[in-house]
Amino acid sequence: MKISLISRRFPVAALLGVAMLLMLMPSGVLLAAAPGVATGATWWVWVLALFIFSFLLGIVAVLAGVGGGVLFVPIVSGFFPFHLDYVRGAGLLVALAGALSAGPSLMRKGLADLKLGLPMALVGSVSSIAGALVGLSMPAQNVQLLLGIVIISIAAIMVKAGKSGYPEVLQPDRLSQILGISGLYYEEFGQHEVSWQVHRTPQGIALFLVIGFIGGMFGLGAGFANVPVFNLLMGVPLKVAVATSGLVLSINGSAAAWVYLFKGAVLPLIAVPSIGGMMLGSKIGAKLLPKVNARTIRMIVIAILALSGFRSLLKGFGI
Amino acid sequence: MSGKESERIYADRVQVAYAKTLDFVSHAVMLLMAIGYLAYMLQLLPLTVPVETVAGNWHLGANELQAKLNLSSGWNCFASLPAMLHGDALSYASVVFLSMATILCLAMAVAVFFSEKKWLYLAIATLQVVVLMVAASGVVTRGH
Repeated sequence: MKISLISRRFPVAALLGVAMLLMLMPSGVLLAAAPGVATGATWWVWVLALFIFSFLLGIVAVLAGVGGGVLFVPIVSGFFPFHLDYVRGAGLLVALAGALSAGPSLMRKGLADLKLGLPMALVGSVSSIAGALVGLSMPAQNVQLLLGIVIISIAAIMVKAGKSGYPEVLQPDRLSQILGISGLYYEEFGQHEVSWQVHRTPQGIALFLVIGFIGGMFGLGAGFANVPVFNLLMGVPLKVAVATSGLVLSINGSAAAWVYLFKGAVLPLIAVPSIGGMMLGSKIGAKLLPKVNARTIRMIVIAILALSGFRSLLKGFGI
Repeated sequence: MSGKESERIYADRVQVAYAKTLDFVSHAVMLLMAIGYLAYMLQLLPLTVPVETVAGNWHLGANELQAKLNLSSGWNCFASLPAMLHGDALSYASVVFLSMATILCLAMAVAVFFSEKKWLYLAIATLQVVVLMVAASGVVTRGH
């Protein structure tokens, strides 16, 4: 009883702790130390803090149903002394690693669908490379400003966008028929089979082009946008949409990651603890998921996203 | 329903092949990443650039930092065996392998699509591999 009470309250407490710590911490404390700061005695403190922070984010991201990258980039770029280039590089790799580790079981269950994901990933990967090139060639302050706008928009989308467990698609479109996009999976919760087909495939492809660009430019995972496009626009069941979003994300993230690697925007010192922390946290989050009120967590995460977006905006304006 | 049964009914051959490759590759990469980072942090191997120097300059943008410290980028950690035998280069190499994982899985999918004569998806998957290989070749970043 006691243990279950603790497990119910821990994620909320952890989330609130992180939020309070970050939001209330005067930026000067962190950023004054930034340029040239991390000399000898202090560098490992930042690396350790990044690992712990990524671990907590991993828990929260799973509970809130968002990808790690979308939380990681605005918060770490706002509160840690690393240049935005390395935060975006690490953010992409965090999203990529998360999608890769979840992929095998989702593909075996028929939830992540290659026929649905591959055409979207093909256009998305090309535009994510373009986005990464544009993002890395722009002054960091401008990227920070745009990041603020994008993150606040994402928070608004998360508040507004609904979701549909099993959308009804009466007539599949011509392109999806040519591509043979349809499927069948076993719904464990209700213990029944769900067959699905899609519509509005051309519009979906066009949107994946835009999402890929944004994901590459800001180092975001873009699951926040993939899922509504699959689910609400194309009529893909929610579970298939979430799982296939991971597949698309892994391909787009991989394409953009090469740009960051060749531009020298990946520092293992920052990227590896972020990936490790986020992956460990995600595993704990998945175990806690059935025991917590995910809706409350999601609302708090949306509030944190909005605040970190606002902070990015301020940094973009040089405030 | 068991995992095996669900795989047999709901995942076609290409999905299973992709999943198996991904399972193996992602575990191998994570192991390599842990080993590489330990070698870097504990300085089990010599470093090309001291950690303190990297940390002292991580507020600089990628272009500036490259110009100043000439850290690993692209494929240059594999330039030679002596270059690879450094803790930081090994850790960087593990990140390169992470970025390679998807290409390996897609290459497996291409082979299965070919064996099943699914020409449309063979073309899409092949194009996808080409896009990733072009990105991995560094061609797109040259001149930027």
